[in-house]
Amino acid sequence: MWMKKRYVLKFDDLQHHTVVARRGSETEIHIGDGEALPVDAHTVLGGKAFSLQLGNRMHLVHLSASGHQGEVTATLDGRPVSLTVMDELKAQALESLGEAAGSGTISAEIPGLVYELLVKEGQKVHKGAPVIIVEAMKMQNELCAAVSGTVTSIPVEAGQAVNPGDALIVIDPEPGE
Amino acid sequence: MAIRRFKKVLVANRGEIAVRVMQGLKEMGIATVAVYSEADRTALHTVMADEAVFIGPSPASESYLMADKVLAAAKQTGADAIHPGYGFLSENGPFSEAVTAAGLVFIGPTAASMALMGDKLSARRKMRASGVPVVPGTDEAVTDPEEAIRIADGIGYPVLLKATAGGGGKGMRVVNEAGEMASALRQTTGEAGASFGNDAIFVEKYIVDPKHIEVQILGDGEGHAIHVFERECSVQRRHQKVIEESPSPSLTPELRERICAAAVQTAQAIDYRGAGTVEFILAPDGEFYFLEMNTRLQVEHPVTEMTTGTDLVQAMVKIAQGEGICYAQADLQQRGWAIEFRLYAEDPARNFTPSIGRITALTPPMGPGVRLDTGIYEGFDVPIHYDPMLAKLIVWGEDRDHAIARSKRVLKEFVLHGPVHNLAFHLWTLEQPEFLDGSYTTDFVSQRFDPENWLSQLDAGQTEALMAAASLFEAQRRGENGTAGDPDCGITNWRANARRAMTGNN
Repeated sequence: MWMKKRYVLKFDDLQHHTVVARRGSETEIHIGDGEALPVDAHTVLGGKAFSLQLGNRMHLVHLSASGHQGEVTATLDGRPVSLTVMDELKAQALESLGEAAGSGTISAEIPGLVYELLVKEGQKVHKGAPVIIVEAMKMQNELCAAVSGTVTSIPVEAGQAVNPGDALIVIDPEPGE
Repeated sequence: MAIRRFKKVLVANRGEIAVRVMQGLKEMGIATVAVYSEADRTALHTVMADEAVFIGPSPASESYLMADKVLAAAKQTGADAIHPGYGFLSENGPFSEAVTAAGLVFIGPTAASMALMGDKLSARRKMRASGVPVVPGTDEAVTDPEEAIRIADGIGYPVLLKATAGGGGKGMRVVNEAGEMASALRQTTGEAGASFGNDAIFVEKYIVDPKHIEVQILGDGEGHAIHVFERECSVQRRHQKVIEESPSPSLTPELRERICAAAVQTAQAIDYRGAGTVEFILAPDGEFYFLEMNTRLQVEHPVTEMTTGTDLVQAMVKIAQGEGICYAQADLQQRGWAIEFRLYAEDPARNFTPSIGRITALTPPMGPGVRLDTGIYEGFDVPIHYDPMLAKLIVWGEDRDHAIARSKRVLKEFVLHGPVHNLAFHLWTLEQPEFLDGSYTTDFVSQRFDPENWLSQLDAGQTEALMAAASLFEAQRRGENGTAGDPDCGITNWRANARRAMTGNN
């Protein structure tokens, strides 16, 4: 009997779903609502890449995890792709938390170092309050809350290097913000 | 001059150039000393050296630029000489003099050459006096806007206001008409003072659509020099070189001979010692002009080495040891074509913003015609304190078309995950007609690169493969090869485990 698992993938601003089906040593993939594609897959290059045989065609896809929310960096034929992939349940759970959750999140805009955290998890903040100091390009930048709300998580710590897009302080806005 | 063979050399640098210099030294049987900052204890240059000396906190100003600490490290380890690489202390006259005063050899030119060529105005004057063509302009600093306007009227607009102590594309401003002059002069003067500590500005004709041609030279310090042919460095972004090639596709044999001769003339006029590069601007009308001279080994030296079969680091060491220039001009020839791609930790889609992080995957390209100069390795944390160049990838082919075809293969083989980088940008460049026919100029990138619309599309087969691989990757990451205990498969733990036991499929 086929054991199946659905995944949700996002890249190039589009969402896709796949189903990975296994039966013993056989694997089949359904891309979207497409037919089952038998696939022969092996990890190679010390675990950095998958070698896939689809039909006669060979594909070498390099994949590295690049975050904690299913972010993956892939490269095939010299073309880099940033995508997220997670199993369907987790994707649905995240979506049901709603867009409002964490929408007050302060993220890094340029690479830098977290210099000092000015708030703690659980702390309520007012719009405009400074929440973190990030050192970048030899300057210290004080970042402020864009909304009033509660700090729900601080995924970074002092001294940590951060890249553009990295979440620094996650804030749940107050109702009405 | 007496020959003094070095037993030990300290490399006053880091990253890929420190690695490359040490490789040259090791081949000569010379012991190597590395200097390293806090961020670099596990850097490649540190771990491959025979000895290493810690020189301070990560910021360059507190470590690699601390001339006293570097010299102290050399004395402490009993080094005979110091190789400065490029950047950092490589063109620091007082440092080279301190090295000499301490009884060590500075593998580079004299402080006098550095001073003469480091000041663009004095360089212009010297070149003019030596009969080398110079970009039309002034040889004296200008402070009065009225005078600047008079000069510009004489040369013809557009003109460039340049800081005499500037470099790397900084301290320059284009002026298109007299009305802009006063404020342009004021701003450029202010910037120059702030950036270089020297606010002297001069006026030069602005050559539109220029090509940047540079010639590698080797001088023995006693009036004799040879050239090792030219490089073209016209693929630039914000005046930063991105791709370099040798030979230059823009030169006829006759022009090549004249430019290389002008470079030798330059080196001989100043009794240059060691490796250096004379930069020229080639105007659309076929005229070339001396731009500046770099009194150090350059980043892009590998394209010269690959096409002439030379080792410039070893040639520098031999000159410094008193052996003179180890090549005869008549023996040097260009063979084939080399292209260097600088790999920067920058995101082309986000205005080339720098990126940092750990190298999570590195699959280097291999096979014929490939040279990779790098200081990074898989698992290395790229520090934020230094410039964002990760590696130099140099490809050699039998001619330019072959080098380009090979470069595409090599760039696709090279995979690097971790920081965002510009490898895909190089692949983009190799598809552009201006690059393919060699007509590109230094404005090429700013004119043609569209950050919204540059990445190639994946075809259907690739998209399928990507989605399949990513799904399997996630499955593997979650340990779901048997999906035992996975509630949404409709199978309980017990039954899944039983099935696994029966099939022995673990």
